[in-house]
Amino acid sequence: MNEQVKPVVAAGAEPVRSVGEYVPMVDGPEKASGRAKYTADFVGADALEAAIYRSPYAHARILEVDTSEAEATPGVRAVVTGNDCDKTYGVLPIARGEYPLARERVRYKGEPVAAVAADDIHIAKAAIKKIRLRVRELPAYFRAKDAYAEGAIDLHEHRPGNLEREVFFELGDVEQAFKGSDLVMEKEFHAAEVCQAQMEMHGALVEYDPIRDRLTCRCSTQVPYYVHLMLAKVTGMDQGRIRVIKPHVGGGFGARTETLQPELIAALLACKIGGSVRLLVTREETFITHRGRPETDLRLKLGMMKDGKITGVEFENDQRGGAHSSYGIVTILYAGSMLYAIYDLQNVKYIGRRVLTNTPPCGAFRGHGTVNARFVFEALVDEMAGKLGLDPIDVRRRNYLEAPTFTQNDLMVNSYGLPECIDWVEQASGWKEKRANGMPDPGPGKRKGIGFACSHYISGASKPVNWTGEPHATVNLKLDWDGAITVLTGAAEIGQGSSTIVAQITGDVLGLPLDRIRVIAADSEVTPKDNGSYSSRVTFYVGNATLQAATSLRQILVKAAARKLEANPEDIDVVGEFYRAGSQDAGIPYQEVVMEALRDTGTITTKGIYNTIPESWGGKKYRGAAIGGTMGFSYAAQVVEVTVDETTGEVTVDDVWVAHDCGKALNRLTVEGQIEGSVWMGMGQALSEETSFYNGLNVANNFLDYRIPTIHDSPPIHTHIVESIDPHGPYGAKEAGEGSLSGFIPAVANAIHAATGIRFADTPITPDKVFLAMEKAARFSKKKETV
Amino acid sequence: MDALHSFEVIRPKTVDEALAARIAHRHSRMIGGGTDLLVNIRRRIETPSVLIDTSDLTDLKTIEHGDTGLSIGASVRLFEVAEHPNIQHFYPAIAQAAGSIAGPTHRNMGTVGGNLCLDTRCIYYNQSEWWREANDHCLKTELGDMCHVAPKSKGVCFATYSGDLAPALMLFGAEIDLLGPDGERTVAMRDFYIGSSRQDGSKGDGINYMAIKPGEFVVRVRASSPGRLISGYDKIRIRRSIEYPVAGCAAALTRDDDTLTDIRIAFTGTNPRPVFLEGTADLAGSTLSDSVLEGIDNLCKDQLMSMKTTFTPGHYRRRVATQMAKRLVGQLFNAAG
Repeated sequence: MNEQVKPVVAAGAEPVRSVGEYVPMVDGPEKASGRAKYTADFVGADALEAAIYRSPYAHARILEVDTSEAEATPGVRAVVTGNDCDKTYGVLPIARGEYPLARERVRYKGEPVAAVAADDIHIAKAAIKKIRLRVRELPAYFRAKDAYAEGAIDLHEHRPGNLEREVFFELGDVEQAFKGSDLVMEKEFHAAEVCQAQMEMHGALVEYDPIRDRLTCRCSTQVPYYVHLMLAKVTGMDQGRIRVIKPHVGGGFGARTETLQPELIAALLACKIGGSVRLLVTREETFITHRGRPETDLRLKLGMMKDGKITGVEFENDQRGGAHSSYGIVTILYAGSMLYAIYDLQNVKYIGRRVLTNTPPCGAFRGHGTVNARFVFEALVDEMAGKLGLDPIDVRRRNYLEAPTFTQNDLMVNSYGLPECIDWVEQASGWKEKRANGMPDPGPGKRKGIGFACSHYISGASKPVNWTGEPHATVNLKLDWDGAITVLTGAAEIGQGSSTIVAQITGDVLGLPLDRIRVIAADSEVTPKDNGSYSSRVTFYVGNATLQAATSLRQILVKAAARKLEANPEDIDVVGEFYRAGSQDAGIPYQEVVMEALRDTGTITTKGIYNTIPESWGGKKYRGAAIGGTMGFSYAAQVVEVTVDETTGEVTVDDVWVAHDCGKALNRLTVEGQIEGSVWMGMGQALSEETSFYNGLNVANNFLDYRIPTIHDSPPIHTHIVESIDPHGPYGAKEAGEGSLSGFIPAVANAIHAATGIRFADTPITPDKVFLAMEKAARFSKKKETV
Repeated sequence: MDALHSFEVIRPKTVDEALAARIAHRHSRMIGGGTDLLVNIRRRIETPSVLIDTSDLTDLKTIEHGDTGLSIGASVRLFEVAEHPNIQHFYPAIAQAAGSIAGPTHRNMGTVGGNLCLDTRCIYYNQSEWWREANDHCLKTELGDMCHVAPKSKGVCFATYSGDLAPALMLFGAEIDLLGPDGERTVAMRDFYIGSSRQDGSKGDGINYMAIKPGEFVVRVRASSPGRLISGYDKIRIRRSIEYPVAGCAAALTRDDDTLTDIRIAFTGTNPRPVFLEGTADLAGSTLSDSVLEGIDNLCKDQLMSMKTTFTPGHYRRRVATQMAKRLVGQLFNAAG
């Protein structure tokens, strides 16, 4: 027996269960101490530094990119332009129209046109200034309606009318439903464009080995596999010659759910020079790379009965998608399909337009496609409840789904904790008393209000965007003579806690403490392929694969223990680091079981996979109806209390009560963190964040002007976890990281209405808008008095 | 932002050494905390070859308070002003203004001299070199000849002054002591800020916003005794930290029984200069009535000029500054009763 193994006394042995507890993240020590290495921390000794030359034009035909002066600069080793790569990339196989460096046309201010690799960053930046771009300017469109107006020229030849995708469906009979309704209301809304503003700026370190024709890329991404695919596509290399490593990543929120220009451009430069290139972009360039939530014009018409039952929905929205496809088709489909699966709706008409414009491309942002639609839906329901004299919470109760069920558009709902979420926030916030007896006095010149809204989100897209027929997730476990277990997973830890979850599940199944488990994640040379960290898929899909791999390892160990103890495997108790045949048995320590298990086979590897079931794939009632299909929906309800300053129009969020049904909280600490983060991000979009453009130039391109709420703006957030135990989730778990975002925006808008009597239909609801609206309302009521 | 360019840093130990360095390096810039200047340098708005770091100028790090008034050295850190018991007691507007600047880390680094000389700001100016070039530059930089805020402005710049300390100090008739090649001189703060941006060819706008001569630097600021003035500072920001003011307002008054006997109001974040509201003396002499508040309204209408230099609409900034002033005056009047 190995002498280093600590003796365990059978009587005191207990299996270690971490699932369902508050568990600090396994990569916490590195991050908290600053030792964690992010892409920018890898300084290749021989790596050149690179910089990008970006278009100063919003829309123009390229006549010439003259790089001669830049190339002649001492210290410059390579310059690449669109001429160096005629391969397109993109995340959706049906919409891969983007070049790493613009060819023929530039379509937004900031689009990469050329790049330089040089001995140091100063030389690279100086060389960039010597590049001359000669163009013929074209008309540019910065608003969706201008881009698809008649006579507008097409940004892309294959997208006539600048429509990336127009979606229309009608299920049921909406006209009829409105006719039979007690109240029908229609309203227009506007939501400003917002950006993820994740902490880490984009960057890549790419090493090309010309002797072996191999390429290694380290970059800040949520989707190492998609990066791998696109690196192969744009370099023309065999994918087996490429290795993608994801270092620590400082947040994503969807900004990195697809391959971005830095890794592709760095790869082109590295291949050209036959060496290593590091390309780190600035905060401004990170904002220009964008892939955020599109500016959206929305129109919603709802029918309702006197008791609050929603009869019909007609929803139209135009999204300003930016200059390239990105996830656009998916975003505009989500905005329609996700009207469903939260309430029981039987008559829905949806019109969506994803429009190409001369602004940076939008992409998938936390709550992908659902957020602006949820804002307007929950805001109008609140308004109609008011008109009908109903408590807005009771209106939601009138429209519950009954799980298990399939929605009208064929989305599978197996668990539905919305009622418990609603009950909790109603109780905890004192909703009823506050509405009946009024809010506490906020003092002179201030008004208080309270608002409510619900939201939901998917637990992973049931069909991945790159459908290959492989399992959705694969996890390998390795157990060797030392008793340590290594989890090999492609899941991209981006700060959300995926490595912690796979360690917890492995440890929990085996009853072992977490320090027995090591996680190696997202290195294509070592770990199994994974589609990436997006659409809240990892806990559900990778978690289930981990569960299977760990269960299989447990069976091997139990069999080994049974052999050693001369007992039946069914009679073996696994009590943490101790295995015994019944409670009277003296048992043997884990390490002996491991050695017995290894005796004939050597190092043990087990594998777990996960596949979604066809019932979850969505329907075929309209083109694109698969979008929205998922294995399970999360649900959330929140109450927001605000104070509005009558003098200045400032809105202070005093308190937030939020309940989230995540099926089962595998780690309460990280689930609560995700809920708080979602609320906080929703608060940014609702009250202060906006990417604005001046002649197509991104104005708020830094953390001073792009106003993420600070800790001073952050209210107490009272979180509550509802566990509806989904039949398919690992331990019953579902989504936890996105669903609580979208509810905040309507909840705060509803609260501001309760305080001021004014409905704000335009985000962000900044003090100037509140001030001017209150001023207008005061003038109006004065006028009324004089009349 | 871009990496810093190469430059020399001189860290003098005495004011005389600082002056000598200033004379020796005509294109030098003084740097205190660097919270404003370094950002501009990294955006290549300016690329000084020499920075004179004031960190070791112990002579300029003192706060003196006596019967005749208050004197604050240019290298005093902002948090020290905010936390100084005598400033809090006698000059609450100044302490409150200092305590509301940006965020705690900025206040720990930023200095009084730096805040007083804060560069004027504009969304078309506080941008990267690439951005400004893609936007054909602007008046306030050497390369541009057009104002994007007011394209017909005939060469006048409207970049907004947004230092918080200046309006608070102005309430107390503050003066700025400057040292330069020609020796020391004193300028009243109201004459120091010259950014009136008139279209009549008179000097002073968002570019030339300080009456400072080449080679001069601020050594201290002095405020006279508050007497019976009670004062306060209020500001609005879109978020409550790490922001320049959307608008800031400092006010002071005296009250005898029910009579408002003195009233002073100053603003920041509205014009290319901090605005000391002219004509408030006429509002004193009666109680704080609606007509006084209306009077404030009218003076603000005449003197506040908020242009589209920030994300927040100018119309709102002017209106909210006025409303804030009236609220602050009301609060001070009540507190004095």
